[in-house]
Amino acid sequence: MAHVVLQDLVKSYGGFKAVNHVSLTVNDGEFVALVGPSGCGKTTTLNLVAGLTPITSGDIIIGERVVNDLDPKDRDIAMVFQNYALYPQKSVYKNLAFPLQMRKLPRDEIDKKVKEAARVLDMTHLLERKPRELSGGQQQRVALGRALVRDPAVFLMDEPLSNLDAKLRVQMRSEIKRFHQDLKATIIYVTHDQLEAVTMADKMAVMNGGYLQQYDSPAQVFAHPVNMFVASFIGSPAMSLIPLEASTANGNTVLTGAEGWRLELSPRNAQKVVRATTMKVVLGARHSTIKLHKSAVPGSIPAKAYTVEPTGDVTFVQAFLSGAIVNVSVPPNIAVSPDEQIWLEFDQERMHLFDGETEMALKAN
Amino acid sequence: MSTIAETASRAPTRRRMRVDGWRWAGRIFLVFMLLYTALPMIWMLITSIKSGFAATQFPPQWWPDEPTLASYQKLLDPQNSVGQDFLRFFWNSLFVSTVTTILSVIVAVPAAYAFSRFSFPGRNFLFFAVLLRNMFPAVIFLVPLFILMRAIGLVNTHGSLILTYLTFGLPLAIWLLKGFYDNIPVQLEQAARIDGATRFQAFIMIVMPLSTPGIIATAIYSFIGAWNEYIYAYTFLSKNEQLTLPVGIQRFFSENTTDFPGLMAASFMMSVPVVVLFLVLQRYFVRALTEGAVKH
Repeated sequence: MAHVVLQDLVKSYGGFKAVNHVSLTVNDGEFVALVGPSGCGKTTTLNLVAGLTPITSGDIIIGERVVNDLDPKDRDIAMVFQNYALYPQKSVYKNLAFPLQMRKLPRDEIDKKVKEAARVLDMTHLLERKPRELSGGQQQRVALGRALVRDPAVFLMDEPLSNLDAKLRVQMRSEIKRFHQDLKATIIYVTHDQLEAVTMADKMAVMNGGYLQQYDSPAQVFAHPVNMFVASFIGSPAMSLIPLEASTANGNTVLTGAEGWRLELSPRNAQKVVRATTMKVVLGARHSTIKLHKSAVPGSIPAKAYTVEPTGDVTFVQAFLSGAIVNVSVPPNIAVSPDEQIWLEFDQERMHLFDGETEMALKAN
Repeated sequence: MSTIAETASRAPTRRRMRVDGWRWAGRIFLVFMLLYTALPMIWMLITSIKSGFAATQFPPQWWPDEPTLASYQKLLDPQNSVGQDFLRFFWNSLFVSTVTTILSVIVAVPAAYAFSRFSFPGRNFLFFAVLLRNMFPAVIFLVPLFILMRAIGLVNTHGSLILTYLTFGLPLAIWLLKGFYDNIPVQLEQAARIDGATRFQAFIMIVMPLSTPGIIATAIYSFIGAWNEYIYAYTFLSKNEQLTLPVGIQRFFSENTTDFPGLMAASFMMSVPVVVLFLVLQRYFVRALTEGAVKH
């Protein structure tokens, strides 16, 4: 196993930069998820690490070697593809044996390793089948097996679960996580599904528009998103972002909504707002940090319920505030009906404030 | 209520009626097509086992009174002059068609792969330039190509035909194969390269086996095109010992008094390699033409 370092990595296609000065370090044995919407450059980044796409500038270091100009086969990596990329004409056994054959291992050693991998992944009975005779989950497993027979320095995974149905995806998610824990493997995992990233990864690298937005543990990214993009991308349902106007009167900092309501900020939040470049401030709040009241309480803001979505253990209520949709979760025993008058109370400790101009998170000091 | 029940019960029968009508129309059409294509072949075969007199009788003998293989014996006998000529023409055709096929596969496979996988300046232009040739009738190129062949001293050689057939066959071969390579996920090669193969090894070990049906289809296409071609062979070759089958048969039998059983026997034997080739490999051919039609 080895660590992976990306230094100021750039990939441009003509004038378009698919990967824009990305730097990050994946420590030995770490599970890192590259996450972002489609077209954000995460798959391109993975292909750069794999050597399938030549880099424009920057450095990629795997272990102690700079691998910029090495062929994929010489980088000591294994990759799991979204469509599994199993060799259709080869049996499962031969699929698993192929990377070992290419490395000219003796036949009996290949046989031993293939059988061991098959045993670990519980597919000994499938060895003679062709990939098309397998279910999606089994194909997935073979792809994983082909990656692990070789004991590579780094595992690269490109949306390996996105072709599976929802139930199997959850099951394979825990299997991959278990696999990481058992092998202490260094894994770089690309996904567009923030839930996969949050549940599996030690660290997540949130990307957008070719830029690395934030690189931290899922808990940190969730609790302290650096900007509005990360805030809205991580977490489901998405964080509500409400554009407001800040003003100061008699030493109190107040946010004013488009409907004219006012929200007085705590001293700590007021400190943050002072640092904004404009008076436009965006209030971010996750559904669980907003309290819904059926009557006015001090500090609450009047709103009208727009839609009500019961999901079983929690009910989501949407309302419009200042032109933005606000998502609030309430226990299922509280009945709210559409168009009902409600009052929302924001948790000052857990709210996020963003600069309306730069979209960056505002910090207290 | 009652109207709903009535329409519901009547609808299926009416639908089945309509399907049956179409099905019968389809069957009749297929029978007609079968007769249209098979009857001439059958008549060719029957005539070839008649005697010369029986072949010209009217009303015709539907089945010869005295079936004979004399025409076949004559054509395949290297001792007599007819047999010598026929066997030489057959060999010439086989040689020209085989070399054309081999060369066209050798050129088309890497060309199609490059068009499918690599982006290089002028890729689209080149690809359509390759196809442009096929938008004109072959005859248009007859005179220019003849002048060209004379200039480079290839007239009266089989090389002139092979070169010409390649210019006709290659565009479609490349087009056909490119479609094939487009349908092979690039991730397979990427996986192979990560698993330890060079780019070339990935092509040879993973992509080539998967594109075998396409390569076979391309080969059949080139072979049949070269085997059946008449007008260029007729123009470029004048020496008797160089002629290919289509020209040879035509010239040979118009020089002699028309020997219909002999002509039919020769025609039948000429169609044998093509038919055999097609029957043996047709499943690849069909697969090549329909590949990518459905997602799998």
